[in-house]
Amino acid sequence: MNVIVDYDACEANGVCEGFAPDIFHLDEEDQLHVLAQPDEDSADRVRQAVRACPKVALSLTETAAESPDDR
Amino acid sequence: MSTASVTLHDPDVYERGVPHEFFAELRRASQLYWQPESPPGRGFWAVTRYDDVVAVSRDAQTFSSYAGTAMLSDFDDEVVEMQRAMMVNMDPPDHTRLRNLVNRGFTPRMIGKLEQSIRDICHQLIDEVAERGEADFVHDIAAQLPLAVIAELMGVPDADREKLYDWSNRMIGFDDPEFQVEGSDGAVAASEIFAYANELAERRRAEPRDDIVTKLVQPDANGDVLDALEFNMFFVLLIVAGNETTRNAASGGMLALLEHPEQWHRLREDRSLVPSAVEEILRWVSPVMDFRRTATRDAVVGGQEISAGDKLVLFYPSANRDEAVFDNPQVFDITRDPNPHISFGGGGPHFCLGAHLARLELRILFDTLADRVPDVALAGPARRLRSNFINGIKEMPVRLR
Repeated sequence: MNVIVDYDACEANGVCEGFAPDIFHLDEEDQLHVLAQPDEDSADRVRQAVRACPKVALSLTETAAESPDDR
Repeated sequence: MSTASVTLHDPDVYERGVPHEFFAELRRASQLYWQPESPPGRGFWAVTRYDDVVAVSRDAQTFSSYAGTAMLSDFDDEVVEMQRAMMVNMDPPDHTRLRNLVNRGFTPRMIGKLEQSIRDICHQLIDEVAERGEADFVHDIAAQLPLAVIAELMGVPDADREKLYDWSNRMIGFDDPEFQVEGSDGAVAASEIFAYANELAERRRAEPRDDIVTKLVQPDANGDVLDALEFNMFFVLLIVAGNETTRNAASGGMLALLEHPEQWHRLREDRSLVPSAVEEILRWVSPVMDFRRTATRDAVVGGQEISAGDKLVLFYPSANRDEAVFDNPQVFDITRDPNPHISFGGGGPHFCLGAHLARLELRILFDTLADRVPDVALAGPARRLRSNFINGIKEMPVRLR
């Protein structure tokens, strides 16, 4: 699972940081940084953050786990 | 239906009070409620459930703010065209461009810089009323705070604050005869605001300062800039949206606390509750009661088939008391957690630009009130605004010590 940020839509509301401060960070310039991609521990909180973003600026892609190589 | 049917766009209804029981009934219904209107109104689907309001808000492609504006009423083509110059009545990508230009002034970091001035403003306002021991909470406190903050934000001289107050009343009080002498008064107010905004922009171009107006009349990093009309419309939007909303959240919040004295007592004793109290006030009051969308294509909302061209009205006071989302939604509880109210909108492009500013103003106001005048009591009945848009209180006499 990967987080994608639409930086045109992001307005630094910081809701995501509230849900998952280990993944999302707003810097002093109101720029959003993705600190790490979600792991098992943070996946649920990241999903909540994605749902809660008031500007709908976050989305998720499912990754490697589903690729044929891993099967 | 068991509750008597309510005409959802009738401003008289809201002068008596938000029809919460009727909303509760609409939320339980399996389909959306169709509210007929007499011409030029074309009738609308009432969207009252939380999940439905959120879904419609987040899908701007299907549910346009531009096609028929974001306002409940249907206007003639000329007025619609005028209204479309305001951000609230735009869709992406036009909306996105303007929004990114003005958002520079409203990020949490920019707003955080205003904290001390807002605290000073709150103390000044309370100084004045504390001496008298009585006040009209609406005129003397709730209305003055956002005006003073907007004036501070935009660099409007103190002497012009009453002008802002008058304009904002006349722009939004279109359904309340007390604020309006004739039908065209809102348009007259708008043209006065335009003239004032032009002057203000001109002054900042000539003499740049460290304020938001200067920022807005100068190009951003990409060389993009608001033109004169865009700036004027933004100023109108700020006066209306930044003013009435916070004013009525403050008045409605104070009233809720006076009607629930045990909650006011708790807040006074434990100031760490201020942030959650403010969220509960926002949920409880829902200062903006509705916005409208127009379907651009056939769609399904809450199990209801909607045709392209249909009007939908999103009712925030209803979504904010949806039993599917909130435990005991009819209870005012300043410790409520979680409190995912949508008083700033259901998310998406139009999510309230001023949310951080509003929260900061309300937090500082109630914190300061609790410090300075812990004994507040109603000294007469609160009088409600006649409006199907703003959940407003016109007058609320209080005694304070």
